[in-house]
Amino acid sequence: MMNLMDKGVGDVARLTATLDVALDRLDRSRPFSKMSNQRPVLDVLSRMMAAEGGLDAILARAPDLDRAGLFAGSDWDAPNALLPQLSGQTLEGEDRLLAALEVASVMRFLAVAMGEAQHPALQQDHARHFLTQLLALNLRRFFDFSDEASRAAGPRAEITARVLRMIADRIGLQDVLGQMVHEIWRILEQRPVQMGPVKDMITQIAIVLAREHSPSGPERLGAERLVSALFGPTGESRDDPGIDAYVARLDHLDEVALSREAMGFARSMHDTGLVSDYHAGFLVWALDYPDRPFVPEALGLGSTGSNCWQQFQGLIADLIRMSVTPATAQAVYGLAQLLERGVLHAPPIAPALRRAMTIDFAPAVSDRLALGFGPKIDPHSLMIAGILDVLGKPLGVGQGANPTCQSARALSMWALNDPDFLLHLVVQAAEAETVVMHFEGHRISSADLPMGLAGAGPIDADPVSVLLVPHLDRIYAEMGRLCAGRGGDPHRWINPEFHGWWVARDCAVAVDVATGKLDDYERFVARFHESYHPEYNGDRPLIHPQPAGIAFTDPTGAFIGWHAITILRVAPGRTGEMRVYFYNPNNDSGQDWGHGLTVTTSGNGERHGEGSLPFEEFASRLYLFHDQPHRTERLKAVPPEVIARIRDMAVESWAKTRV
Amino acid sequence: MNDFNPEKGYVALLGWSLNAIDAVDRFDRRYVVVAPPWAEDYCKQNDIPFIPWDFDRLNERSHELAHRLADEGVDVAIPLYEETVEWAGAINAVLLKNPRLLGQSMLFRDKSLMKRRAQLGGIRVGVFEEAHDRGDVIRFLKRVNQTLLKLDGDPNDPIHFKAFDKSGTAGHRVIRTPEDVDNIPDDEFPALLESHLDGWEFAVEAWIKDGKIQFLNISEYVTLGYSVFVPATPELEAHRARVTEEIEKLIEAFDIDFGFIHPEYFLTSDNKLYFGEVAYRPPGFKALELIERAYGFNGYQGLVLMFDPNTTQDEIDAFFPEEVTGAKGHAGCFGVYPRRRVVSRLEVPEETANHPYFEFHELAEPMESKVTKRTAFGTHWGLAYFFGEDPHQLRDLLKAQEELDFYV
Repeated sequence: MMNLMDKGVGDVARLTATLDVALDRLDRSRPFSKMSNQRPVLDVLSRMMAAEGGLDAILARAPDLDRAGLFAGSDWDAPNALLPQLSGQTLEGEDRLLAALEVASVMRFLAVAMGEAQHPALQQDHARHFLTQLLALNLRRFFDFSDEASRAAGPRAEITARVLRMIADRIGLQDVLGQMVHEIWRILEQRPVQMGPVKDMITQIAIVLAREHSPSGPERLGAERLVSALFGPTGESRDDPGIDAYVARLDHLDEVALSREAMGFARSMHDTGLVSDYHAGFLVWALDYPDRPFVPEALGLGSTGSNCWQQFQGLIADLIRMSVTPATAQAVYGLAQLLERGVLHAPPIAPALRRAMTIDFAPAVSDRLALGFGPKIDPHSLMIAGILDVLGKPLGVGQGANPTCQSARALSMWALNDPDFLLHLVVQAAEAETVVMHFEGHRISSADLPMGLAGAGPIDADPVSVLLVPHLDRIYAEMGRLCAGRGGDPHRWINPEFHGWWVARDCAVAVDVATGKLDDYERFVARFHESYHPEYNGDRPLIHPQPAGIAFTDPTGAFIGWHAITILRVAPGRTGEMRVYFYNPNNDSGQDWGHGLTVTTSGNGERHGEGSLPFEEFASRLYLFHDQPHRTERLKAVPPEVIARIRDMAVESWAKTRV
Repeated sequence: MNDFNPEKGYVALLGWSLNAIDAVDRFDRRYVVVAPPWAEDYCKQNDIPFIPWDFDRLNERSHELAHRLADEGVDVAIPLYEETVEWAGAINAVLLKNPRLLGQSMLFRDKSLMKRRAQLGGIRVGVFEEAHDRGDVIRFLKRVNQTLLKLDGDPNDPIHFKAFDKSGTAGHRVIRTPEDVDNIPDDEFPALLESHLDGWEFAVEAWIKDGKIQFLNISEYVTLGYSVFVPATPELEAHRARVTEEIEKLIEAFDIDFGFIHPEYFLTSDNKLYFGEVAYRPPGFKALELIERAYGFNGYQGLVLMFDPNTTQDEIDAFFPEEVTGAKGHAGCFGVYPRRRVVSRLEVPEETANHPYFEFHELAEPMESKVTKRTAFGTHWGLAYFFGEDPHQLRDLLKAQEELDFYV
């Protein structure tokens, strides 16, 4: 038995020597045997990271570990695609080797972020951004706040805290708070349906701000604004007294004070998209106030919304009672937006909402909802809240971490364009556990189909998605099967059948499906102008949202995969340049597609939830769109230099190997 | 695949071993993997040259494979597993136009023939016999113990039971009682029965070219089926000259011109060397990996050098280091078996994890909590690797692992 005093620095030196043996073996091995040589490396790393000074040694070797192939064959091999929200869990997870892999990966990010190493698929900015987010998401772990989870993780929690502290020492925490606040505002600007992660980050900020040694300055100011929106947006809630105490206060306020409370909530909500629990408490309380004057005020309704409120008071009051609880406070914002959209005036919507309030949930459906959202929330509350959120913010639907962009896009499109159809599907799926659609006259019932891309379906999404995506995913896959054997891209036939009649039946595809090569790309680009660009199509507006396919590229411009989006409108941006405004079912539309193409989500005339790019930049990533026959007499010829510019952008990135 | 040297031979690897393929892919010889069809997709995806083949019992199709390889331009076939040894013999008989090679390979595949041939070659072997059914085993057990003048009721001296065509510790059982005999499954017959030799058991890995030993390693067993390390302690290495002589006898008795052999020996308390058995293929228990860790050369690449008819002596001399003194240290491994009947997780004992000689392990988390009773040797749950300068400390450390729980 060796002397325990020998542990420490000597330990790391010895482990490092052992690591180098395993690393050398991994490095030498051929790509096909990387996997079997990764294990010994991970085994040594897992012991090294626990030793004093071990992390520094790992950091020093991180680029070598990467180059030798430690990440080959795993998701970690594409650092650009890694999600910082998963890192914390992996670091503290049960699998010791996976935790070691995560540590090595994070250290690789750190080496790149500090400019000490370069990586072909990881830019310095991205590495820095990733680490900042990692810190932001794990502030609690960073500050050694002990909670049940980290207590259970034991020594692993200690290692995680050291990893985070090491990152903060090198990246700086000031930066983290500022970036975090900036990041939260950027996400809020898109008004996502799923607000859990954002609220979680704000809660973590609140904890940091409450500590004495937290940084001050402009970052602190921005942070405090977010915290107050969530924990004390009004005069009477500023001290965060707790819901019961707050509601008790309301009984002692006069009308002027109550009105000020209502307006305070409304302003904060419309400003940020965040709904404070106090707001939810206030709104439910306001339902019982004579004549309910504070309900529309607290919802911050404009003329359309107020009009809906006057017409449908009974329904709206029932919706609030059923859906607005502390666990589903965001339903308030969904409701306000729903009223503001005026969709209640469409005849089927009010009865369809009534119908949804009386869903008899199939037991398996309630179980799934309980799995996704915990067993304590009543499925009716959950589902109505989810419906209000989705109908209020159709562009806020996100696919979560699931390969189901098609389904998320369909949900968003229906919420926008066909809300009663969406409500019809919700009832079908919740009661009969099936969704029935037709493909060219052929009946498809999801209950008869095997699992699709997403397996049993997502549980990390909003309630409507959790309910419907498993069905939609299967139907979509089945439609694909029915198209097998047809030449050409199957989306040509699937898209109109899957989404609705308004999807144009003609379809242009940039590549030849059989060869994968560009197929008369010049014509494809010209036709996109003729169909969508007001200057070339005779100033005809786009009427319905149209599904389209893009070649998704990463910040280096490298092709990642085909991705489903919706073209919403084509219009001039703030400086007069023509832009395409579109919906991206990815949870965050603000993306860097490489070679200077940055999808913006605000500042260029975007509405909440829209992403946008200048027309030509957008066209350069497009590979499939729908249109209808043109009236040629109104068309204007597209100049060859425009087409050439677009072609260059495409060929520089995703189409590099397709010419 | 690396650029290969066109002056050198083109080899076929018989059987699927990722470590072997990886090593040969990094070497300068052209190669093709001959393995069961399930490996085809994998090879395609990874650009590994591949010929699908089912190695079942050797049959008339060996000729077909031999000619296919000849047409392909292959110079020689290298067996990676016990099951492919006779295939290699049959194929090389054709490729090298030497019919004797087939007969030679049959000797390696039949433990009884092997032992008789060794005996004829003047090599000392223990008492042995063939068994075709359980009755044969009982008779042998009784006879051996009568010879030892045991009385009824005295505990029996054990005998060893080795299925004819299984390799290494698979199919190797120690038999003490008639109940042990009942536990032998039918498919392990016919088998070789051997008396038990008390003594120091060790293995040898010998790379042979032109009838000459080019490199000889002695692997010291700490406990058979549990642990081994290389190079051996000075006490065992002291016998190297005798061991070399014994290997030369084997080369003569089996008429080995080239290749790789892996025999096992006993050194008994009266200082006599007994031959156990020999295999014409790489050993199990990751012995080549241990040798690489200690000496720095890749054993599979060494194999290719030995089999390739176009290898020169200069190449060989440059490839192998000095025996014993050329080692950077001693490398060993320990095969972990759960000691408890019910286990829930893997937990490397702290004294192992903190030992400076411990490198890493390849142990998996338990899939089932109930541990099935061990039959025969073999089926460990993974290996733990050690490396250090002092062979005695390494040996004691490996021995100590047997008393530790890796699964709790």
